[in-house]
Amino acid sequence: MREEALDLANYVVEKGRRLGFDEVASIVRISRRVMVKFANNEITVVQNWMDTTIALYLVKEAKCVLTRLVCRTKNDIDRALKNVYDHMAHVEPSALYAPLPEPNGKTLEGLTDPKLVQSLGTTIEVVPQLIDEGLREGAQRLAGTFHAGHRIKALVTSKGAELSEEGTFIEVYARAFYEDNSGHWAWTSTKFNDDRVLEVGRKAASYSKIRLPVTRIEPGRYNAILSPLVVGNLMSYVARAASALATMLGLSMFTKYKPGTKIGSEIISIIDEPRDPLLPNSTGFDDEGIETRTKYIIRKGIFESYLHNTKTATRMRGQLTGNAGWLQPHPWNVVVEPGDIDEDDIFCEVGEGIFVLNNWYTRYQNIVEGQFSTVSRDVVLYVKGGEPKSIIRRVRIAEVFPNLLNNIVGLTKTKYDIAWWEVKPPVRVPFVIAKNVLFTRPEV
Amino acid sequence: MGACMFTDLLEYAVDLAGRLGASYAEARYHVNRSSQILVRFDKVIGVSLGSVNGIGIRVLYDGVLAFSATNDLTPDGIKKAVKQAITQAKLLSNTIHEARGLVEAKVGRVKYEGVAKKSFDSMALEDKLSLLKELWKRASDVVKEGKLTAFTVIYDEGEEVKEIVSSDGAYVASRIVRPSLSINFVLSHPQRGTIQRSVDFGASGGLELLGEWEPEGKIEEEVRAAERVLMYGVRPPKEPVEVVIGSEIIGLMVHESAGHPMEADRIWGREAAQAGESYVKPDMIGKERIGNELATVIDDPTIPGSYGFYLYDDEGVPARPRYIYLRGLINEPLHNRWTAYVFRAKSNASARAMNYASEPIPRMANTYLEPGDAEFEELIEDIGLGVYIKSYMEWNIDDIRWGQRYVGLEAYMIKRGELTEPVRNPVLELTTRTFYSSIIAKDKDLKFYPGLCGKGEPSQGVPVWFGGPDVKLSRVKLGVAPR
Repeated sequence: MREEALDLANYVVEKGRRLGFDEVASIVRISRRVMVKFANNEITVVQNWMDTTIALYLVKEAKCVLTRLVCRTKNDIDRALKNVYDHMAHVEPSALYAPLPEPNGKTLEGLTDPKLVQSLGTTIEVVPQLIDEGLREGAQRLAGTFHAGHRIKALVTSKGAELSEEGTFIEVYARAFYEDNSGHWAWTSTKFNDDRVLEVGRKAASYSKIRLPVTRIEPGRYNAILSPLVVGNLMSYVARAASALATMLGLSMFTKYKPGTKIGSEIISIIDEPRDPLLPNSTGFDDEGIETRTKYIIRKGIFESYLHNTKTATRMRGQLTGNAGWLQPHPWNVVVEPGDIDEDDIFCEVGEGIFVLNNWYTRYQNIVEGQFSTVSRDVVLYVKGGEPKSIIRRVRIAEVFPNLLNNIVGLTKTKYDIAWWEVKPPVRVPFVIAKNVLFTRPEV
Repeated sequence: MGACMFTDLLEYAVDLAGRLGASYAEARYHVNRSSQILVRFDKVIGVSLGSVNGIGIRVLYDGVLAFSATNDLTPDGIKKAVKQAITQAKLLSNTIHEARGLVEAKVGRVKYEGVAKKSFDSMALEDKLSLLKELWKRASDVVKEGKLTAFTVIYDEGEEVKEIVSSDGAYVASRIVRPSLSINFVLSHPQRGTIQRSVDFGASGGLELLGEWEPEGKIEEEVRAAERVLMYGVRPPKEPVEVVIGSEIIGLMVHESAGHPMEADRIWGREAAQAGESYVKPDMIGKERIGNELATVIDDPTIPGSYGFYLYDDEGVPARPRYIYLRGLINEPLHNRWTAYVFRAKSNASARAMNYASEPIPRMANTYLEPGDAEFEELIEDIGLGVYIKSYMEWNIDDIRWGQRYVGLEAYMIKRGELTEPVRNPVLELTTRTFYSSIIAKDKDLKFYPGLCGKGEPSQGVPVWFGGPDVKLSRVKLGVAPR
């Protein structure tokens, strides 16, 4: 399939150059994916996808057009190129145009699990086992998703990049219910592992079966223990905000903070990690053919690096970081460096505070200030005297990201690889303790 | 229909699935085309064209629902996709505790198109770019004390073409075009900080909508209002006060707290691990009240020119208005044929799929609070001290659609029946029951707003309208967002 993908990408570039485009790049992705959804302990649907997508980047006289096609024939490509060429006469030069770079990227190996290539269809047999595992652990019902696939990526550019890469992925998450209580857990990897899949059901169930009295809190500031699910969600927002285009558009909190500025406490470090063989978005080259590299976005509380493509690096006089997107640079996988706290001691470390297992619906009031709120879901625990004392239902964290980052006072040694509906791209993150976090709840 | 159809291939897929043992099969050719321009201030940043097309096939085999999607539009490609769906359904069929089905429904055999008076190519690209650049000029001209530090415009022309064939006789071919325009700006002041606003337009129709929307005038109003709030905004009152909520927020509120919790798949739990469940339990339907007599919420896919317009759903069922909440009663959930089977109900044509690679699930179309008969002035005339919250930026709601939060963007104090100084970042945080039980009065001005509603796994974003009138609520305690 790699040859097929490279062949199509080469065809785009050759044909595009013949038509008269100054620069052409093409990324062809061929994928096979399977997903099983389950709810109320039942399989609700099994879904399969077999797709070829072709993305085209076409430039003439500094006018840039991006095209994404879900197609696989050369006829479709010919039509698309002709359509763009006809369009070109009316398009203006891009204010951000910069020539494609000389490629230096190389294929990253070790991203593939043979089981997911050869037996993708039968891996779904683990799903009923996951449900059983959660029920055995004490949950009454489970819902969730198993998603796995095999994908090929080929990049060809008119600057000479001719690269292809192969990878597999698995993303599993489960939500377990016991009466009015629920727990959630998730796991992601490039490699299939039965035990880790079952652990998702087990951990979700273990949170669901916590039995404590239900109490309410007054809105106000509390110490917070944020699980990896929450940390993954929130720190992904921070990492995406480092996209240089977002800062140039004025749509990022990093618009206000230049590299070298202290933006968090000295124990928080956030890394863009494209080269870890277990994290599913890892890749050896970005969309411009530049070699990816591991980099700190925030190191020990100091904002260190924007994420660049050639356009933004040229405009901002920065160095390429291997994060292209032809238009929008983006993080690959987000890693938060662990700390020195034992996970078992985390409640003791806090003494009094609120443990949030999971969150969703993070929304900005003001993206430049990083002013947001997010809603808890699943179990929330009120901790006092170093022990969980009660369950609190559905509170909100309403904060400003720089405040939250500055108030981080602890991280666990253990870290988890997670991706799910509310956490994308994949993350590797620990539990985090933050002080003075604002919690709110609805007026009844 | 203006696009090649794939009837033979779709019929082949349905027939093959039947021969392989499926008790139900449906095949949908689905193409989404998009042409998008991104402008920053008055400079073009990029143009993108997209075309996502393929065939999605759904089968019911031995009680297991299986879905396969491919863009290999050859008989071989379709055969592989159908076989894959059947094979995997077989693999899991022995784990099914209770076989599910799709409820029988009267399905359509029809072709239809949304009305577009002026086609997308009736205006030269240069003229479209001029219009988008004019927005920056008009916005920057009205700023007096602050500075527009960010101003981005995304203009999109979308086309959605579908052809659906099912084993129980449905044939529905449709074409709908939708332009949309989204403007995002940040206004800054050295002492007063920043304020951010998004203004969105979207509907089904053609380029005649650009004239109807008058985005140049609207952006002037929005920038002026944001600057007033930035420069002169005060904190909201600390004590509970009467609040008038603008139609923009009301639309969002009914979408979030009436439409979503009344999606039958959520009520059953099918979305439990993703978009969540619902405070509504099956035994509440038609029996329990969530609000007062003024709380009637309707979802109607058939509104001509609406962003969520359709006449037949993606299972071939003819669309009609659904009275979700009826005078405060939890009344009619949104069903596709799968949930209708589970609930022993009838489908009310809520099945929508984002694209060929998505399964059809219960979705909203155009959701709104039924308007009243008052004038806006009548809503505020007897308020001694209150707040009018006209627009919002931040919002969210919990996963059972009960506790919700909206942070006002353009807002004003109401004093002795008059709108007075602007209010900055007032927070309305309340429960679904509190909202629908606190409606005192509604004006008669029904307005709609566009949105892309997200749900499902993989996540599906479908175009919707949400709307309503301006609404007066009884006393509420407002918060203020942290800075």
